[in-house]
Amino acid sequence: MATKKIGFTCAYAPVPIIEAAGFTPFRVFPETDSKDQSGYMLHDNLCPHVKKVLDRALDEDLPELEGMVFINSCDSMRRLSDAWQEARPGDRTILLDLPSSNTDASITFLAGEYKRLLKTLCQWNSVDVSLDKLKSRINAWNSLSQTLGNIEHAMGKNFYPGLFSQYQKIINLSAMHGVDKAFLKAKEIDPDKMSPQKGHAPVFIFGNLLFDPKVFNLFEEWNMHVADNDFCTGSRFVNSVDYDASKDLFYSLASSWMNRTPCARTMDIADPGAIARKIVDRAKSCNARGVIGFTVKFCDPYLARIPMIREALQQESIPFLMIEGDCTLGSMGQQQTRIEAFTEMLEV
Amino acid sequence: MMYDYFKNMVDGVSQKLLQDPDSINAKKKYVLEIAKIGQKLYTRDEKIAWCGVTIPFDLLNSMGVTSCFVEFVGAMLSSNETAPIFIKEAEDSGYAPDSCAYHRAVTGAMLKDIMPEPDFIIGSSSPCTAGLAVMEDMARRFKKDFFILNVPQNNSKESIKFLTDQIKEMTRFITAHTQKPLSMEKLGRALEFFNESSLILKDIYNLAKQTPSPVDNKLLKDFGTVIGLIMGTREGVEICQAFKDELIDRIESQKIDPSKEKIRIMWIQNRIQYKFPIEKMLEDFGVKIVVDELNDVTWEPMDPDNPFESIAKRIISIPYSLGTNERIAHMQLLAREYKLDGAINPCHWGCRQGTGVRGLTTRGLKDVNVPVLNLEIDCVDSRNLAQGQIETRLEAFVEMLT
Repeated sequence: MATKKIGFTCAYAPVPIIEAAGFTPFRVFPETDSKDQSGYMLHDNLCPHVKKVLDRALDEDLPELEGMVFINSCDSMRRLSDAWQEARPGDRTILLDLPSSNTDASITFLAGEYKRLLKTLCQWNSVDVSLDKLKSRINAWNSLSQTLGNIEHAMGKNFYPGLFSQYQKIINLSAMHGVDKAFLKAKEIDPDKMSPQKGHAPVFIFGNLLFDPKVFNLFEEWNMHVADNDFCTGSRFVNSVDYDASKDLFYSLASSWMNRTPCARTMDIADPGAIARKIVDRAKSCNARGVIGFTVKFCDPYLARIPMIREALQQESIPFLMIEGDCTLGSMGQQQTRIEAFTEMLEV
Repeated sequence: MMYDYFKNMVDGVSQKLLQDPDSINAKKKYVLEIAKIGQKLYTRDEKIAWCGVTIPFDLLNSMGVTSCFVEFVGAMLSSNETAPIFIKEAEDSGYAPDSCAYHRAVTGAMLKDIMPEPDFIIGSSSPCTAGLAVMEDMARRFKKDFFILNVPQNNSKESIKFLTDQIKEMTRFITAHTQKPLSMEKLGRALEFFNESSLILKDIYNLAKQTPSPVDNKLLKDFGTVIGLIMGTREGVEICQAFKDELIDRIESQKIDPSKEKIRIMWIQNRIQYKFPIEKMLEDFGVKIVVDELNDVTWEPMDPDNPFESIAKRIISIPYSLGTNERIAHMQLLAREYKLDGAINPCHWGCRQGTGVRGLTTRGLKDVNVPVLNLEIDCVDSRNLAQGQIETRLEAFVEMLT
């Protein structure tokens, strides 16, 4: 079992690559008691995700890391990469360029970036690049993805108290301790042996980060049944790799990451604004009576798309609640009244 | 409304130029050419494309497309003091006040139907995520085809090839909408004009470096960004030449007042677009803006035999396309070349790209003994302007520098 850790902050960093290089992944969540000091490097109007991660870096609130993987996914992430180098000049870091559109040329380019990532990480760990090892980690990842998919499917059909929180813990486990540990935990969950309950409002939730399992327990207390989710810390994180044996392995990885349900920063140029339609489709397919969006403040990719999402949901008469904050348990507590009023309105 | 605005500007400036045909009139000629682009956008005689800031306008011009970056409209609306109306429209429609006001103004203009409908849209991932998001929204609302130039953040061989291939693909995308294939001859001519303009621009900036500098606080305002719209044209060359002539004339006729240059500063990122007399205030303090951060030629000459790769390298060379370290290194270079005493960063509200790392840029300039005044200004939305506060901070900064 690898003990050396590689930090990362964005869901476009493929965990199978980190593991194939012999490292344990460690997602640096913006959860910290560190004092707020990132402001002297980054402007206050950058998203709290990035600022809190930087606070952790400045305050040494991190385990020992062999290096950090950054993704050029949005302006804030780019700036985090810049600031990290200043805050911790001794750290090994790599910044991957992530195209904004999912064209074939973009996927090919990203495949090159993922290849560069594996090569760099293997150098850092003084091991040889092994495609067999990468295939093996992709298989493990796909097994986890499939198991979590089964849990998601069950949660979409029925409300199982406490299950979403367990699901979130498994995703966090995969992000912070590796896929194998998460898979073992996931296998322990069998919704067939659990008792579904009625009376909670089925809701589809989406956004960027919502990672604290306790938040989902609160949602249940507030009469919400999370029927499906779309977060980079949730369903978007563990998506399976469609491995095409006739194609380059890195191309398959890049294609899977670019073609999965995208973060708002990734666009389908053939279908501008597709994110709105996709959210409507997801909400409908899990029979959600309402949709709640959670985004961190100052997140440009989501802020720009919220009006089109609202419009699309309105056209389908699906109630929508938008919540902005720092997506921690603390900020969620302040939203109790709004969320309760929303779920009451859904009239279960 | 916007057509009338640009038409009045074209007519008014043309009249003034006719009244005084022998003088250099660089600024008037420049305003006239830019206003003509605005007028063309609202006339629709040619194919129209709304674009991101770093799109190669020389290439689009050579393909007969009238094109412009959308932030230009945000700036225009701000300068004619109508931006707050459109910004409010955007905010009332759910666009967050925390976002960049250039983009909120453009979105509001689109919602109020005053943005001309384009034939297609080309966004770019540089300089910012928010700019690309507004382009996508535009493509959705206008139901127009959308192309993205992904600009990698490094100048590796792979990155340059990726961008080069995309530029080639972009020309095929444009051809599909104009039904006119790219003429390599026209592109070659555009690149020649571009190279000629670049050489003159270097001369302009070298003249601006002199002590005392022949520029004034307004002459080259946002010049490096906006001149890109016309650099691949004969008019672009003429405008650049007019500015060069203007600066030479000022030097030769000793029109430069050294008392207005007790302190030499750089303006970081973009200027304030609405009427706010900050340039005059600085002038009264004896402060001269000798350089804007983006007023520089960071690219090698375009190679007509290898046009697409040349253009790709040029786009990547723009300081905003690269990481902050490169941006800081560029600012430090300007600090040395222009013998700067200080710098002002307006810290445009809502800009994660440019303003985001203000702490790092401040420290980077401090390393070369250039203090930075970081203001808190929305460069487009004047509604929350705290004029008195800014005046006080400017005064304190100037006192510190003297």
